Amino acid sequence: MLDTAPLAPGVIAFGLLYGMVARQVGFSPWEAWAMSLIVHAGSAQFAVLGMWGTAGVVPILLTTLAINLRHLLMGASIAPHLQGLHPRWRAFLALWMSDESYALAIAAYERGTGSPRYFLGANVGIYLLWPTSGLVGALLGSALPDPGRYGLDLVFPLAFLGLLASFLKDRIGVAVALAAGGLALLGVTLLPTGWTVVVAGLLGSLLGLLLEEAKEAWTRS
Amino acid sequence: MDTLLIFCGMAVVTFLTRYAAIAALGREIPSRLRRWLRYVPPAVLAALVAPAALAPKGHLELGLPAWALLAGAAVAWRTRSVLWTLVGGLAVFWLLRGLGL
Repeated sequence: MLDTAPLAPGVIAFGLLYGMVARQVGFSPWEAWAMSLIVHAGSAQFAVLGMWGTAGVVPILLTTLAINLRHLLMGASIAPHLQGLHPRWRAFLALWMSDESYALAIAAYERGTGSPRYFLGANVGIYLLWPTSGLVGALLGSALPDPGRYGLDLVFPLAFLGLLASFLKDRIGVAVALAAGGLALLGVTLLPTGWTVVVAGLLGSLLGLLLEEAKEAWTRS
Repeated sequence: MDTLLIFCGMAVVTFLTRYAAIAALGREIPSRLRRWLRYVPPAVLAALVAPAALAPKGHLELGLPAWALLAGAAVAWRTRSVLWTLVGGLAVFWLLRGLGL
């Protein structure tokens, strides 16, 4: 659990921002806190805040799903280390697996020092930080008169850009991002709010799959 | 009440993505599915960013957000760090706003 300390400033900074922005879309501090306690998925929470009030329940859940799909891959990579554990334990470890605690746990497993206890400690460490900093941010956020003036509405898109950069490992990744961005701009004028992200995300990622398979067929021939 | 229900729905969806692969233990994810999944996050993130930058009010326009996010994109590209991207993008926003643009 103590190993989460180096990651704490990042989580806390994000939590504070999350809380402030949550206030901006009309959440009470308690709602902001409840969302972090219940959902515990920072990126997805940010994305959903961005569409809160304009999008329906289905786009909200689909966006949550889309943003969290990366956890499938993380789960697949950590699963071999959890063999032999009681299914209830595995489910409990999965429940609070965040990007940060996953990164700590998988790194520890690869060093040979990993254990379910270590994984649990990392999960709990992050789980303690995230809702608490969100609540503090939300309480501070109430004191700010007009957060839009300070550019706080740019916080999500900027954070997404930062996250996006780590996914752009090759040209196909860049092509996917450009295509999805372009489609989303088209979608803004054509689709109901909320669906833009789902449609552009789906088509953009399918393009990535197609390009990768085309490239493979090309290099094989 | 509705708000809490939506939170619970999000929590269920989140849990499923975290648990599915761990529950499937040992069984391989089909390679095509795995490839496709890899491109979902960048596509979704780009789809979230582009309208915020170029159509913040629902129609195309080139304003402060566009420049701030362009600066953010440059920082993101160089540093791959979320926090530095925030700092860079907001700094440009405040600078331009301070200049009265």
